Amino acid sequence: MAKDVKPTRKNLMAIEDRIDLSERGHGTLEKKRDGLIMEFMDILDKAQDVRGELSDDYEQAQKKINMARAMEGDVAVRGAAAALQEHPEITTESKNIMGVVVPQIESSRVSKSLDQRGYGIMGSSARIDEAAEAYEDLLESIILAAEVETAMKKMLREIETTKRRVNALEFKLLPELYENQEYIEQKLEEQEREETFRLKKIKEKKEAEEKAEKAEQEAAEAAASADEAVSGDELEQSTAGGLPGGD
Amino acid sequence: MSAGASNPEYVNARVRARRAKLFADEDYRKLIRMGPSEIARFMEETEYEREINALGTRFSGVDLIEYALNRNLAKHFDDLLDWSQGRIYDLIARYLRKFDVWNIKTIIRGIYTETPAEEIRTDLIRAGELPDRTLDRLLEVDEIEDAIDILSGTLFYAPLSVAYEEYEETGVLVPLENALDREFYEHLLDGLGRPQEGPEAMYVEFLQAEIDFRNARNALRLARSGADLDPAEYYIEGGVLFTRSELNRLVADYDELVDHIADNRRYGDRLSSALTRLRDADSLIAFEHAIDAALLEYADRLSSIYPVSVSAVFSFILAKEREVENIRAIARGREVGLSESEIEDELVIL
Repeated sequence: MAKDVKPTRKNLMAIEDRIDLSERGHGTLEKKRDGLIMEFMDILDKAQDVRGELSDDYEQAQKKINMARAMEGDVAVRGAAAALQEHPEITTESKNIMGVVVPQIESSRVSKSLDQRGYGIMGSSARIDEAAEAYEDLLESIILAAEVETAMKKMLREIETTKRRVNALEFKLLPELYENQEYIEQKLEEQEREETFRLKKIKEKKEAEEKAEKAEQEAAEAAASADEAVSGDELEQSTAGGLPGGD
Repeated sequence: MSAGASNPEYVNARVRARRAKLFADEDYRKLIRMGPSEIARFMEETEYEREINALGTRFSGVDLIEYALNRNLAKHFDDLLDWSQGRIYDLIARYLRKFDVWNIKTIIRGIYTETPAEEIRTDLIRAGELPDRTLDRLLEVDEIEDAIDILSGTLFYAPLSVAYEEYEETGVLVPLENALDREFYEHLLDGLGRPQEGPEAMYVEFLQAEIDFRNARNALRLARSGADLDPAEYYIEGGVLFTRSELNRLVADYDELVDHIADNRRYGDRLSSALTRLRDADSLIAFEHAIDAALLEYADRLSSIYPVSVSAVFSFILAKEREVENIRAIARGREVGLSESEIEDELVIL
């Protein structure tokens, strides 16, 4: 608050420095926010597509497994699923989007060929193959969705933080600094005016004193010259009357 | 048991009584309108009462229905093996060995994934030739190698022993499962020759169709998958649709493969509409549906032409399997919210 600030020139300079820094920071953060929003919009489009695909894949996988369970029996489907011990592998790396670190998920061994699914080919059916294939597709979609949605959430969080910072600078810090700056400037101007006035007063006073002194001096001088004149007359008179000792 | 004279008359008499208890088309229409719990209640008042009551405390919903269906199926087929002797036993047993294959696969998968024996036990369908004692011993072991040792003396021992080496190299169950399936299919026609007429001719024709459809199904799956697999490894001898070299050549060209099936005199007409759809669609499911329907057509013919023969018994086996599949399909279909028409169109084969 302005009242807490000492209206000194040093503080004014410090505040001006801070204003300069904050304005630059505000500009940079605004650019970052806009950039993040643009990146976010791209990711959002991708996320919407991925969500749509995920939903379709899920529906498809459910349909396929329901058909397989209905026609082959739940026991047969569970049996086929149990014929494989190996799990898909997922590795995560990270990439940087405008300073936001987002994950990059790589999967392997999700989609399998007919002979890699564990169950025997000769005694199984296309219903089980298609259910397995549909679930492999679903798993791929889930992995992609996890990557995109995590990136989206991280971007969103970063946008929110940046927006808060921009708003804090724009609506809180900078207005306060401007207010302080104005306050100090006003105070300094006021002080300057006071100083000027004071100096003027001093000057006037001094001038008045000087004037009075001069007048006094003049009066004294006048008085002195008057005295001098009087004493001259007296001397003249005494000279004209003869000096008593001179006879 | 296989010893002694064949007794098709006796087995047929028993089978006729069982056949009368099968669900009629109208029962399916009723079931299609029911929810899973209503289906279970409906089953409680039918042939499946004992199984539903026995399993009702452990399972519920569609799981209860599925396990009850499997247990009932096992009971019926086990009875068939008990009643039959001699030649007819052999003819029935060779087809029911597919449940042995199922059970061995289930146990091996259980060992592979370290599933508790009790959980594996519930998934077994004790309808095959392997005695319960052998299955129980298999459930006790922790290593696949030990399980294979227990099977010594059965026809599965030799192929499993060979496939085990490949399993050890690759760590996946595919070679073991393929070995089991191959053994089942390749023994279907053992010693049957090529009878030209009579019930055995029809029986052989049905088994050939089973092999041909399995070859066709696998060839189409291989052709579609684009996986670098040797088609010859998945070829089953005994059918009339492909020779090994034909299959090798055709797998490389999907359209030519479909044309080859369509041009076959025995199956072309039966599968023509499914093959047309197969050319347009990406999915093989409609084709498999057509294959199932074609096999059932054979089954219906088996029962009507030679009523007192292995054909009629065989027809009952297929009808029972169809009943179990239909009830399970309806219950699962209702569970997942499929409409009545979807269940009728896509699942149930009436």
